[in-house]
Amino acid sequence: MSSTPVIKAENLTIRFTTDEGLITAVENVNFEISAGEVLGLVGESGSGKSVTAKSLMLLNADNTVYDPDSKIWLYDGEHQIDVLALKKKNEHRQIRGGLISMIFQEPMASFAPAITVGNQMVEQLMLHTDLNKKQAANLSIEMLERVGIADAPQRFKQYAFEFSGGMRQRAMIAMALSTKPRLLIADEPTTALDVTIQAQVLELMQDLVKEFNMAILFITHDLGVIAQTADRVAVMYLGKLLETGPVRNVIRHPAHPYTQGLLRALPKLDDLDAELSPVPGDIPSPLERPNGCVFHTRCESAIAGRCDQILPVFTQIEPAHEAACLLLEDHPSANTGHATDEAPDGATL
Amino acid sequence: MLQFTQFALTRALMAIFTLLLVSLIVFSLMEMVPGTCAERYLAFKNTQGQQISIDDIEAEERRLGLDKPFLQRWGNWVGNVFFRGEFGDSCILRLNINQLLGDKFLLSLGICLTSLIFAYLIAIPVGILSSASKSKWLNGSLRFVSYFGLAMPNFLLALMIMLFSTMVFGDTLSGLFSKEYRDAEWSIARVLDFLSHAWLPVFVLGWSATAFALQTVRALMLDESSKLYVTAAKARGLSGGKLLWRYPARHSLGPIINSLGFDLNRVFNELPIVAAILTLTEAGSLLLDSLARSNDQQLAGAIIFLLTASIVALNFITDIALAVVDPRVRRSVMGA
Repeated sequence: MSSTPVIKAENLTIRFTTDEGLITAVENVNFEISAGEVLGLVGESGSGKSVTAKSLMLLNADNTVYDPDSKIWLYDGEHQIDVLALKKKNEHRQIRGGLISMIFQEPMASFAPAITVGNQMVEQLMLHTDLNKKQAANLSIEMLERVGIADAPQRFKQYAFEFSGGMRQRAMIAMALSTKPRLLIADEPTTALDVTIQAQVLELMQDLVKEFNMAILFITHDLGVIAQTADRVAVMYLGKLLETGPVRNVIRHPAHPYTQGLLRALPKLDDLDAELSPVPGDIPSPLERPNGCVFHTRCESAIAGRCDQILPVFTQIEPAHEAACLLLEDHPSANTGHATDEAPDGATL
Repeated sequence: MLQFTQFALTRALMAIFTLLLVSLIVFSLMEMVPGTCAERYLAFKNTQGQQISIDDIEAEERRLGLDKPFLQRWGNWVGNVFFRGEFGDSCILRLNINQLLGDKFLLSLGICLTSLIFAYLIAIPVGILSSASKSKWLNGSLRFVSYFGLAMPNFLLALMIMLFSTMVFGDTLSGLFSKEYRDAEWSIARVLDFLSHAWLPVFVLGWSATAFALQTVRALMLDESSKLYVTAAKARGLSGGKLLWRYPARHSLGPIINSLGFDLNRVFNELPIVAAILTLTEAGSLLLDSLARSNDQQLAGAIIFLLTASIVALNFITDIALAVVDPRVRRSVMGA
């Protein structure tokens, strides 16, 4: 039973209908996360990380179109739920805040300012559990204590603006976990926090995953945070996954030029004189998605006539570590077993 | 609760201080008008054929207390206004201002406030629902109605209604009272007669006020609805009416209350033109008259002061209401 992944995205392609036409935000993305596992989704702003995360809860705007063969399977312990096929309001509710919880980047902005933190926690519990108001309040206070908020009964009655930044994110985590979701989506949860607070919050999240045996989708643009937090990492660029694998392998032996670039762009504390080398260029507009490999416009090793025409498929580099790059397909030592010119089937993580 | 009383008291003191400041400005403006009341009155008598000497003017100035220093005169004026509600005599008409104004100011204020209340009673629910509705038809027609209300001058609307009423019912609908009640004592019949006339200015003023408020409410709602906490609430499973009323609607209430405070002034400014067309005897047109035609500084000062006092009072009320609905305001002013 534990082998069934909690969430599984298959051929996930997400487009938005706009006045300028159909815009592709996410293309042919495959991943799965098992209970107790943290998948880190890395990428620059605009790479489609948040759109992917929101699609799992059907939180994208009304102009979102999912390709017909896109599938999101959510396992509730007994059944596989076809998330994209859910139409009814109460089915949406079961997913949102029940089976899946989400933590957002701005802990200040994600609490309603004129409703007490406690009221918002109780409200969620009343929606998703059979608890009465009193029990819901007790559980909420217990959760606040569990995430290390001192004087929880008092804090329960306060508003978010009376909390410090780190405390707000702890409260957000407490609220997200109070319904015991199967999947926790953390959308850059520590970006807005001080580095010291960031470490505390990350540690707290790791403890809680083990305790609650949840799956976590951890979204960030910070490879340093991923290294501390995730078990596996998926690198996303312009709506496509470029490299996936166990976090240590990917960071030690990055195979895709983009991943290598991201790692080079990290400041090195042991060599402060070393120049930072950012990935050159800007992420192209989603309106002008490049042909062939989406990264070729910024890639230093791009081969003219090939990378701008052929769509690379996933190549296995080491066990469970794959990257989609034509350079790897040409590499003699690489196992290009399934790498042919037919439509890419993507890697299943 | 104690803190709240303290907050209300502080606000009340601040309001009174504002009023004192306003009274000083108003009084200074009255003084700046060239010529004193004594000169103007005697000049008026002069035109009636009487011979006036410098001695007469000085005697009149002494009688009116105009020979006393500025601050003392201001003190007297403020004291009379605050403690006895007495504005003194009009310069030109030589009549007691309180008698001259009579119910007029209260009637004007009543018409303005009623228009505002109607405007917001309609605009708040309609604005909230339309911001949440995806119906192109509903939003399109609402936008049409509000632009129409914003674009069409009040006096034109008033004229159109009067024309229509005259042609269809043979009644011009002008004035605030029928002939037989105009100078009668207040009675139930007079109130009913008043209401049967007052709906028209309320409607005309309320029409554009509603259009304006509708745009405000809709914009505030769209602003709130796009905030992260609404998405976060949605991600916790809230949906439909519960999400709408408890999250964006609840949180746009504060700014809506705030905008109410500004609107009274706007409506009062529109009143004189409407009043002129509907031949209402109200304070706004009296103010225009005393400012522009007869240069009656005492009367103008009294009306300006009363208007400012009403706005300060309304702002005081909205401040209190704001503290009730928004905990951030409550905490920030009470320093808890």
